[in-house]
Amino acid sequence: MSSVVSAFNLSLSYNNSENDIIQNATFDIKKGEFVFITGLSGSGKSTLLKALYGELIPKEGELVVGGLNLNSIEKKKLQELRRHLGIIFQDYKLINEWSVEKNVVLPLIIDGYSKDIQKTQSTRLLKHVKLSEYAEKLPLELSGGEQQRVGVARALSKNPFLILADEPTGNLDEYSSNVIWDLMETSCEQLQTTVIVVTHKIPTIFSIPYRHLIIENREVYEIH
Amino acid sequence: MKFIKNHLTFIFPLMAILIGIEFFLVFERTTISYEDGLRDKYSMLVVVHDEIDLESIQNLNPHIFSIDLIKKDAIVDEISKGLKESSKKNLSKLLPYFYNVKLDTYFDIKQIDKIKADLEKSPIVKSVETFDNSHDSNYKLFIFLKFIFKIFISFIAVVSFFLIIKQMEIWSLVHKQRMKVMEIFGAPLLLRSAVMYRIAIVDSIISTIIISLFFVHLKYNWVDSSGIDILVHNRDLIFEFNDLFKMLGISLLIVISSVSMVISRLKDDN
Repeated sequence: MSSVVSAFNLSLSYNNSENDIIQNATFDIKKGEFVFITGLSGSGKSTLLKALYGELIPKEGELVVGGLNLNSIEKKKLQELRRHLGIIFQDYKLINEWSVEKNVVLPLIIDGYSKDIQKTQSTRLLKHVKLSEYAEKLPLELSGGEQQRVGVARALSKNPFLILADEPTGNLDEYSSNVIWDLMETSCEQLQTTVIVVTHKIPTIFSIPYRHLIIENREVYEIH
Repeated sequence: MKFIKNHLTFIFPLMAILIGIEFFLVFERTTISYEDGLRDKYSMLVVVHDEIDLESIQNLNPHIFSIDLIKKDAIVDEISKGLKESSKKNLSKLLPYFYNVKLDTYFDIKQIDKIKADLEKSPIVKSVETFDNSHDSNYKLFIFLKFIFKIFISFIAVVSFFLIIKQMEIWSLVHKQRMKVMEIFGAPLLLRSAVMYRIAIVDSIISTIIISLFFVHLKYNWVDSSGIDILVHNRDLIFEFNDLFKMLGISLLIVISSVSMVISRLKDDN
């Protein structure tokens, strides 16, 4: 199977400082794989995720996502890559002035899809995340769990080849957490979407096979 | 309420600039009208040995607009009271030719002296009388007022421009979260900042319409009731339909450049 993410001797640091957050990481993630990245707080999990969507340029080594080398990627190419990613944040990162419906189809708006397609997709996805009745509401009128479900719906709206999730269920109630894990499992299993989830704790009930990478002392290991 | 406040804090400085621009246009038209009046009233007296035509005098200086021969008879009648008819005829033959010369625009003393010097270089010109002092003091006062007014308008424009930039920065903070999220999802800069451009353009159109309506009101309603003769006589100079497009063009230029400045600063920050 083809590689979706490939890191070789990857080192990451902020502002090119001496203090590496990740050092010499080498790993390879294939299409359709579900990968958990765990580690202690401050171990560099979110930093690694930022590098995966091009928010942080690698200091050393090589990082390839979707066939594009992120060490020297052009701005336009990076924008194009991001349009094919589904990103989920712990703090949801929804646009508070926009309705739930509009937030869900943000990736379609960016890609210039017609209003009809946007409407069809938002209706389908909101039904999927069990938020159909909240379509017209603003994000701040929703609970944390509901906002995160909107975030997941947004991440899925364009059938991305790669979903990156940063602590997607941190601080969420059990019901919302289960809905979110279920959606990601389904997406991985049925659509062969690669899913990388950064979390401090792997859910106890998880029905599909997954890989587990752990960050410890700035290095990335795989647990078999 | 906050939405309206955000718009007004942008519209007000823009309106200040547009009022300044419109006053400038009105003043410019008044100046041109005044200068035309001065030019029409002003003439030089050129004394020549032989009769000349317009073309030959224009060869001496291109700013000569028209010439008008002063009939010798009138001059002879004036200076030959009590003389015999034959003496009058001799006097008439001896007299040079006098021309009233009008210029194509109104010039200051320095420029008039230059024209005078050009004319006097020619051997056919006997002398040139410029009568320059009578208009010059009024004209200088007028130019001075125009200069002060331009300085004032420029000052208002600069202050207002900075207010607009400040307001844009506030907007950029308001929209920062949205722009950041859109950036993460791969939106190009133009799409991320489209809302700011749209609001700015709408506000510039609103400002232009408000100022145009204000000046139309001045022109057609207020001027008559003001009882100020000079305004009533120069009503046409107060607002022209073209001014609307000039103001719209300038305000669009201002808002688009100020949004672009703020956006490029945001881009650099990222």
